[in-house]
Amino acid sequence: MSKAKPSAAKPAPAASPNGQPAAAVLRAPAETLFAEELAALAAVDDRPRPPNWKLSPWAVVTYLVGGKLDNGFEVQPKYIGSRRLMEIAVATLATDRALLLLGVPGTAKTWVSEHLAAAISGDSSLLVQGTAGTAEEAIRYGWNYAQLLARGPSRDALVPSPVMRAMEDGKIARVEELTRIAADVQDTLITILSEKTLPIPELRDEVRAAKGFNLIATANDRDRGVNDLSSALKRRFNTVVLPVPATEEEEVEIVRRRVESAGRALEIPAEPPALQEIRRVVTIFRELRDGKTTDGKTKLKSPSGTLSTAEAISVITNGLALAAHFGDGNLRAADVASGIVGAVVKDPVQDRIVWQEYLETVVKERDGWKDLYRASRELL
Amino acid sequence: MPEPRVHLFGVRHHGPGSARSLAAALTALKPDAVLIEGPPDAADILPLAADKAMRPPVALLIYDPDRPKRAVFYPFAVFSPEWTAIGYALKAKADLRFIDLPVSNRFAIFHEDEPEPEPEGETPDAADPEPDAADPSANGHTDAPPPAADLRRDPLHYLAMAAGDADGERWWDRMVESRRASTGASSGEGAGEGGATAMFAAVHEAMAALRAEFPKPPDSDEAREEELREAHMRRAIRAAIKEGYGRIAVVCGAWHTPALSDVADKALAAKDNDLLSGLPKVKTRSTWIPWTHSRLCAAGGYGAGVQSPGWYEHLWTCADRGHIIERWMTRVARLLREKDLDASSAHIIESVRLAETLATIRGRTLPGLDELNESTEAVFTFGNPLPLRLIHDKLIVGEVLGQVPASAPAVPLQRDIERLQTSLRLKPSAEDKPLDLDLRNATDLARSHLLHRLSILNIEWGRPDNVGMGRKAGTFHEYWRLQWRPEFAINIVEAGAWGNTVEEAATAFARHKADTAPSLAALTAQLDHVLLAQLPDAADHLTARIASVAAVASDVGVLMDALPALARVSRYGNVRKTDAAMVDAVLSGLTARICVGLPPACVNLSDDAAAEMLARLNAVEDALATLARPDLTDPWRESLRRAAEADTTHARLRGRAWRILLDTGAATRDEAATRMSLALSRAVAPAHAAAWLEGFLAGSGLILLHDRPLWDILDAWVTSLKPEQFDETVPLLRRAFSTFERPERRQMGELVKRTTGVPPSPAATGTPAAESTDIDLTRAELVLPTLDLILGPPGSPQCSTLRTH
Repeated sequence: MSKAKPSAAKPAPAASPNGQPAAAVLRAPAETLFAEELAALAAVDDRPRPPNWKLSPWAVVTYLVGGKLDNGFEVQPKYIGSRRLMEIAVATLATDRALLLLGVPGTAKTWVSEHLAAAISGDSSLLVQGTAGTAEEAIRYGWNYAQLLARGPSRDALVPSPVMRAMEDGKIARVEELTRIAADVQDTLITILSEKTLPIPELRDEVRAAKGFNLIATANDRDRGVNDLSSALKRRFNTVVLPVPATEEEEVEIVRRRVESAGRALEIPAEPPALQEIRRVVTIFRELRDGKTTDGKTKLKSPSGTLSTAEAISVITNGLALAAHFGDGNLRAADVASGIVGAVVKDPVQDRIVWQEYLETVVKERDGWKDLYRASRELL
Repeated sequence: MPEPRVHLFGVRHHGPGSARSLAAALTALKPDAVLIEGPPDAADILPLAADKAMRPPVALLIYDPDRPKRAVFYPFAVFSPEWTAIGYALKAKADLRFIDLPVSNRFAIFHEDEPEPEPEGETPDAADPEPDAADPSANGHTDAPPPAADLRRDPLHYLAMAAGDADGERWWDRMVESRRASTGASSGEGAGEGGATAMFAAVHEAMAALRAEFPKPPDSDEAREEELREAHMRRAIRAAIKEGYGRIAVVCGAWHTPALSDVADKALAAKDNDLLSGLPKVKTRSTWIPWTHSRLCAAGGYGAGVQSPGWYEHLWTCADRGHIIERWMTRVARLLREKDLDASSAHIIESVRLAETLATIRGRTLPGLDELNESTEAVFTFGNPLPLRLIHDKLIVGEVLGQVPASAPAVPLQRDIERLQTSLRLKPSAEDKPLDLDLRNATDLARSHLLHRLSILNIEWGRPDNVGMGRKAGTFHEYWRLQWRPEFAINIVEAGAWGNTVEEAATAFARHKADTAPSLAALTAQLDHVLLAQLPDAADHLTARIASVAAVASDVGVLMDALPALARVSRYGNVRKTDAAMVDAVLSGLTARICVGLPPACVNLSDDAAAEMLARLNAVEDALATLARPDLTDPWRESLRRAAEADTTHARLRGRAWRILLDTGAATRDEAATRMSLALSRAVAPAHAAAWLEGFLAGSGLILLHDRPLWDILDAWVTSLKPEQFDETVPLLRRAFSTFERPERRQMGELVKRTTGVPPSPAATGTPAAESTDIDLTRAELVLPTLDLILGPPGSPQCSTLRTH
């Protein structure tokens, strides 16, 4: 199971969950894909469930991190990593405070939020994709102008947003990339989250959230130029930071699988990547990200970029393409070097120093890394 | 089964739940004798525990007066069960005894051939492991002992694993320390008593099962020590029974309770007496010393430590008042507010709710520290780890310094200082007296070390006295002013926590300061201090710290400031017994970083910043030049060249860089000449050209006079100028030359006058001064003896040149 965000896998809200058969869509929503597991969990789950929850908090955590049920049914892990974090996330939703999943790109934020919604509400489709252009209507409600003109303001003329629908049905709504939404639009969430009500002043009406309503937002804490949450809004969220993979092995495994599937999809004729090259790239990324070498002996500066697992994947894929089209088909140090430099050096001054220091103090000294050192030196 | 008169209370050292249950049990039992697993050596000073001025955390210190490094600490916090028992006994006037094997025996038996504690590790703790380091209930957080040894060291861990918990300490915490019953949060005291007795019975049973499961390991010092200790405790209990006490309470580590339950066994009694007869003994002394929460921490290297003394204290103090979770979160919020972080009452409410929900999901009745931390992280900190660290330091560890009454016996450090004062013949006096030390003399050198070490320990007996007239020059002399002040007594007690000898304490304290130093500059400043005080261990540690701080330092200037001190260490490394290899590794890393960072650091500088950089450049060049290691100097010169070739580099630095390159042979004369004319060409802004020249010639008036090649380069450039160009350049030259001394300028003028018309030629031999013709030889002869002294014996080139005239 990959932790990295499945590429092109954000389920389009337009693809209605019950419209098409699962086989026809590129990727079915979680509640369809894992319907069997959800049903099995619901069958054995005898613990108290919060109102309108399909499963108890315990069962939701089990659904996410996997495990064996008493009746022998095996639940696949959806999230590989700390159980603790999933417990906090689920507990947060159970206390009716909203959940904010933070993390660098490629740490499975969307993935986790989709599965949480699927397990708790059985519906992961109530999604608002945050962009700089997301308007208030996407979070509150819009109008069907034909209806509005024909019959005047009425509930029939109202086009509810996913959030409003979630409030009415007592389900989990999701907001992707919350910090990309303009600050004034973000703030429309404040009343919804604190008062659990959505006023409709035009109709002198309001929607009061049914029990079970809650909201999961994801945000990227590394990107620049985003709209930081106002402290009023921040206060309505519990934050769970999803970390990068904990161990090197785990990360190498994720990269390897994803690269192999990407290589097949793109039909790159190169040999499958040597594990050694992947390990080197992952090691470099981990070391720079952590600010110290794997043996813990040398401290390092960290570059401004995120160096997520997803980027390691793209470095290897890119290297494979280079090797296939311009090299001998085998992935070599020179093929990945340019990718690595491109991923690390995002700021031409500071990151360059970071990279040079890393080259001179770590790469140069390491046994068997001479080829990479030379290849990287040539690029500078 | 134990005799009904003897009541065993197996506790966890520093466990507030144990303490609480124990307090309830003791109140119910009303024992007339309280026997505690502790060193009988300290019997005399036990009553001091009831002194008003005694404020935990404190520790009993037992040491060998002849070798103060040999010492054992028994720390007590306000929430330690032993402290509760001591307090109860003193207040209820019950007979109070410590029944462990005396330290005097243990020193004699187990530490005979142990020359010195290993230098690494945290001072007193490492100086001798706390006696209960091996006690399973203490769950010693040692550095990953091999699994086989681990079995007995930490059987709690196995109990915890059986219960499905990864961590023995956490498990014990949840089962015993933070229980609602034992903390009295939900049930009244009445229920607490019954619960307390039941709890001790349960612990006893669990430990008996564990001890059966993990039999004694083959012969080892540790096993023998445990055998002796338990034999001694049994004998003490028997003695108490014989003396006719009605209700005897025995407070010991939970691990020992099964061994102490069969005191009535006659055969075992005989065996114990055999075991304990004729044990060797050494003299010991004991005293109370102040302790701190952070040193109670397992992280401090103390075996029986706890990870969260602050939290335990909170549990202990809040137990009577209830609302532990709410109070804790309120303290968190108030702490964050103090630091100007958002923390409203609404946050507190939410965090309490989240913590309780988390506990429910995990099937716990009461949130533990884990749940509290996680909910703090989710609600308060918005994913920022820094506030959590603050909470850890201020609340979870909760730094508290204990206090001992003034009547407590003197600490060993005090004795060590007195001993050194006598042996070095430095009498403490309240009078302010000067002291002149000649460091070539062994006693004076030792005195200097003592003064420097004391000053590291904040005992400012001597102040370096660098001002004043009539001083002998040279690095062999050190001047001090000595004044002993009475308040040093307090400083000594404080410093006593760091070690029992001056050297040990100063090393430990310097290491501690190194760990907390805010910046690289502070670290390097400390390095000098530590070297002067001759503390090689601390110097090693500092060097390592410097390496790791330097790695993340983004300011090349800071790195350059750090380099000279390190170069000094490397150079004198062998003399001072520091680990030269380690310093060298740090030095190479530092140099590599400087070399990478230097060129960008030299651009876009203001004149002031450039002047600072120039000083650093010179310092680094000097330091590297003295080391004369090509693996360092080559990349450095290469980096200098890159800086020198970049147009964006400040002109003064460029000039200086070219000069260094020229002097060290890294650049040829032709190259330098080309660069000079390039830098001084018309298109260059006059200010820049002047700055370049200034950098190139800086401070080298004399050298210019005596180094013909350099002179030639400058001369060739000046003479190549066309008249109108020259007119434009004159101000620049004036400015550059204005940095020279007046006599130097005059000599240069004369030199120019003499050489006018004569084309500069590389073949010209001799110094310019030698070409002068109108010297009064008789007068010149007079200075020759002095010159000989300065320049060396006759025959050296300079002298012979002069003599030929």
